[in-house]
Amino acid sequence: MTDRRMKEAVRYLGYGRNTADERTRMMIKDAFSEVEEAAGPKSICRIFDMEQDSDGRIMIGNISIESHRLSRNLRGCVKVVLFGATLGPGVDQLIRRTSLTDMSHAVIQQACAATILEEYCDKKQLELGDELEGEGLYLRPRFSPGYGDFDIHYQKPLMQMLDCAKTIGLTMTDSYMMTPSKSVTAVIGASPVKERCPVAGCEACDKTDCEFRR
Amino acid sequence: MITDRLGKELLFFDGGMGTLLQEKGLAPGELPETWNMFRPEVIKEIHERYIEAGSDIVLTNTFGANALKFHADGCSLEEIVKTAVRLAKEAAAEADTVSTDSSGTRGEKRTVYTALDIGPTGKLLKPMGDLDFETAYEAFKEVMVWGEEAGADLIHIETMSDTYELKAAVLAAKENTSLPVFATAIFDERRKLLTGADVPSVIALLEGLRVDALGINCGMGPEQMLPVVEEYIKYSSLPVIVKPNAGLPKQIDGQTYYDVSPEEFSGFMEKIVSMGACVIGGCCGTTPEHIKAMTKRCRKSDIIRPSEKSDTIVSSYGQSVFLGNGSKIIGERINPTGKKKFKQALKDHDLEYILREGIAQQDSGAHILDVNVGLPDIDEISMMKETIQALQSVVNLPLQIDTVDAGAMEAALRIYNGKAMVNSVSGKQESMDKVFPLIQKYGGVVIGLTLDEEGIPGTAEGRVRIAERIISEAAKYGIKKKDIVIDALAMTISSEPDGAKVTLETLRRLRDELDVNTVLGVSNISFGLPARPVVNAAFYTMAMMNGLSAGIINPASEDMMKAWYAYHALMGLDANCETYINHYSNTQTANGGGTSSGTAQKTSASLKESIEKGLKEDAAVITEELSKTQEPLEIINAELIPALNHVGDGFEKGTVFLPQLLMSAEAAKSAFGILKDKMDKSGEVQEKIGTVVLATVKGDIHDIGKNIVKVLLENYSFDVIDLGKDVPPEQIVDTVLEKNVRLVGLSALMTTTVVSMEETIKLLREHAPQCKVMVGGAVLNQDYADMIGADFYGKDAMQSVRYAQGLFGC
Repeated sequence: MTDRRMKEAVRYLGYGRNTADERTRMMIKDAFSEVEEAAGPKSICRIFDMEQDSDGRIMIGNISIESHRLSRNLRGCVKVVLFGATLGPGVDQLIRRTSLTDMSHAVIQQACAATILEEYCDKKQLELGDELEGEGLYLRPRFSPGYGDFDIHYQKPLMQMLDCAKTIGLTMTDSYMMTPSKSVTAVIGASPVKERCPVAGCEACDKTDCEFRR
Repeated sequence: MITDRLGKELLFFDGGMGTLLQEKGLAPGELPETWNMFRPEVIKEIHERYIEAGSDIVLTNTFGANALKFHADGCSLEEIVKTAVRLAKEAAAEADTVSTDSSGTRGEKRTVYTALDIGPTGKLLKPMGDLDFETAYEAFKEVMVWGEEAGADLIHIETMSDTYELKAAVLAAKENTSLPVFATAIFDERRKLLTGADVPSVIALLEGLRVDALGINCGMGPEQMLPVVEEYIKYSSLPVIVKPNAGLPKQIDGQTYYDVSPEEFSGFMEKIVSMGACVIGGCCGTTPEHIKAMTKRCRKSDIIRPSEKSDTIVSSYGQSVFLGNGSKIIGERINPTGKKKFKQALKDHDLEYILREGIAQQDSGAHILDVNVGLPDIDEISMMKETIQALQSVVNLPLQIDTVDAGAMEAALRIYNGKAMVNSVSGKQESMDKVFPLIQKYGGVVIGLTLDEEGIPGTAEGRVRIAERIISEAAKYGIKKKDIVIDALAMTISSEPDGAKVTLETLRRLRDELDVNTVLGVSNISFGLPARPVVNAAFYTMAMMNGLSAGIINPASEDMMKAWYAYHALMGLDANCETYINHYSNTQTANGGGTSSGTAQKTSASLKESIEKGLKEDAAVITEELSKTQEPLEIINAELIPALNHVGDGFEKGTVFLPQLLMSAEAAKSAFGILKDKMDKSGEVQEKIGTVVLATVKGDIHDIGKNIVKVLLENYSFDVIDLGKDVPPEQIVDTVLEKNVRLVGLSALMTTTVVSMEETIKLLREHAPQCKVMVGGAVLNQDYADMIGADFYGKDAMQSVRYAQGLFGC
């Protein structure tokens, strides 16, 4: 198991910059394999033309998005990739089952699942980035509804355009929670100009006082 | 009728709709069904092109037309559906008169059928999502009723990725229309549905619900689909439908496209017909050209008529269990008979207790779980439904519905996700009249008890005769022998000296003469004897030797499991003794998460230390030991509470972290459990500090945070009423009023659900102003909590505990 993986899981568990003791690390290691066993990761992406008007309003197909942060993130982009990924319902079930018998084990599985999901998204994004470089397009960091001022309600049209219920089994509840819960939707800008590394999450966030900050 | 031709000749579906509409200008995000109203000529023309290409069945443009998915201003769903059917029927009627077949011969009259297309709701059903089974059912029902009214010839349910939604749709079709029902699901390259079901479990479910044809569509191209098709043909007794995509979706210049050409497609489809498919067509990315190439190439192919398969399959949403290969273990522990704690759990509505019984049995090796929740003074119907749904949210084993109440049986069969086992019917006419119609309607594998109006025959001959009667009566309902498992009945040898011999002979004859599967409640054999496991295990081996297909046993019994493992190894039913070796070569780590528990030091460490270190097993062992010499309360005060305080303080100071805090909590919990048993026995009562109601608010389905708070509060001697997740404000208020509760803890994860938190607080203030409210959750902070009027914001679980302690004055 990679060091980075362990570090991420430990961070999700609220250790901040502290290290976890040997026994907890053992449990984390086991939990990674349990979650991987239960997971059936799937992803979908679709590329759309994008326009931005002078007010920064973003137009993708039939939807228009108002978000200052997203707008800044997409400045200079000509296309966007809508992206959806999920670890599948097996992971939710595993964590629910474990919660009934051992909560400490359940929170560790939860942290491992979050780590695996992020890793999976990064991997998919890098693959996609490699492909698009052939077309002279470079990806920006992915940006998800619910972050900053990118309203969570955009999740609905986004998921519709990806048809992700059908393609990857990702759906949403009436209150905009994704089911399965270990899932991500995001907008990734594609620009003809190469800028910074496309995979950045935590560091780009405004919430600098977050206790889970990397 | 299409059913007259189904399975006797090859029938052709049409191909994709979405891709064609996009070519005609359907914008991303625009709902295709709106074109039934705004661009009807385009829709009709697509139908016509498919009919011209040789399709016998055209699908209406209604894939996303259900109330849960379709929201478009100014469009009535009913009109959309009825217009869709009309457009397809008009195209079909013209084909009747024009009639061109794919080879171009004109003049031959051809019937084209209109299939009402039913796609998924786009939402996930409970327990994985937030959609109620009956809500999904209603959404499907209205569309199907409209479709039949408008004149559809059949209903085609397709692209289903969840067996539960599939069941809701099929039931809606069967109960509200008289149309033939075709149903197909979407599999991935692991040969699973997105929600985990395998091919046999989907077939078992659909055959049980008596659809007319079943199969697979979408998800993959024809080549990738071959292994799934093979499995379908292997297990299905019904005609199989296959509708692949034109390959896997690819993108170029921002456009999605599929790259399997009509020629290639038709080649694969010819192969698929030769494998045994009876109805073929295309899904995403296929065009009239694909369908034309397909009908041209396959028109003359002979089909293989579907044959009756004899596998006995029970299933859950996630897996299928085959009876008849070796002996299966049916866990008997979810049953209140003779279990004081279980009875209490039922009375207290303590579902978690029941769920833990289920999990423990699965971990011990059960293949199927018997579920019996019958007690004289509880509402068995609602308890049965709740238990089944809760169990299916944590255990993926098939369940055996065990009840004598026909109402509870029907309610359970209806909401069960999969093809259940049913316990039981007997040879009594009254019993058969009651149970068989339910199996006929919902499907299931039913246990037939070899007793009738005259009682239990004392001879094997008598029992075999009853089995025959049960099988032939079932046949009148179209229930096949493969869906019946006969209980040979074990009678205790303490009162019937020949009891075991008669049972064993019955098993043997049922296997050899009737070729039917068998079951036994094994441990009945030793009733009234001392050292029952000795007799039970020996009898279990003998029963398996005589053909027992499934034993209803306690999988926690070491003796029984030894007999099971040894029998399968001995009889060559366990390839290379692999299961046996895996189980017995590392029994030390077999039960537990595989983490080192440090049990080696159990004698040297104190209880306080073992709790601080979070060593659950050690804590239990030491508590057991201590309680021989000390009073429970003394142990609690001298060891448990100081240990918890020590860890809690560490957490607050940032030297102990969440996993350790919870490990200590779990260790303390195991110690408390042992002490509570002792106190219960001596009639001693440990004072609870107070009662706290916990709930994740309405609309919110993430409960891990709430569960953490619960574990800790219980540790600190609070009585916790856990209302679960997605809890309506009214239910919280009612509970508070009914139990006169002083503190409520609410959890919400997202801004969208904090709204219901606020609503709950308002309602509480109105009806229970004396009750305090503490809140927590990912998006909350002090400001937010103040804004919605909470009394306290707990940044973490420990803070909630401290607040509760302060409030109750300790």
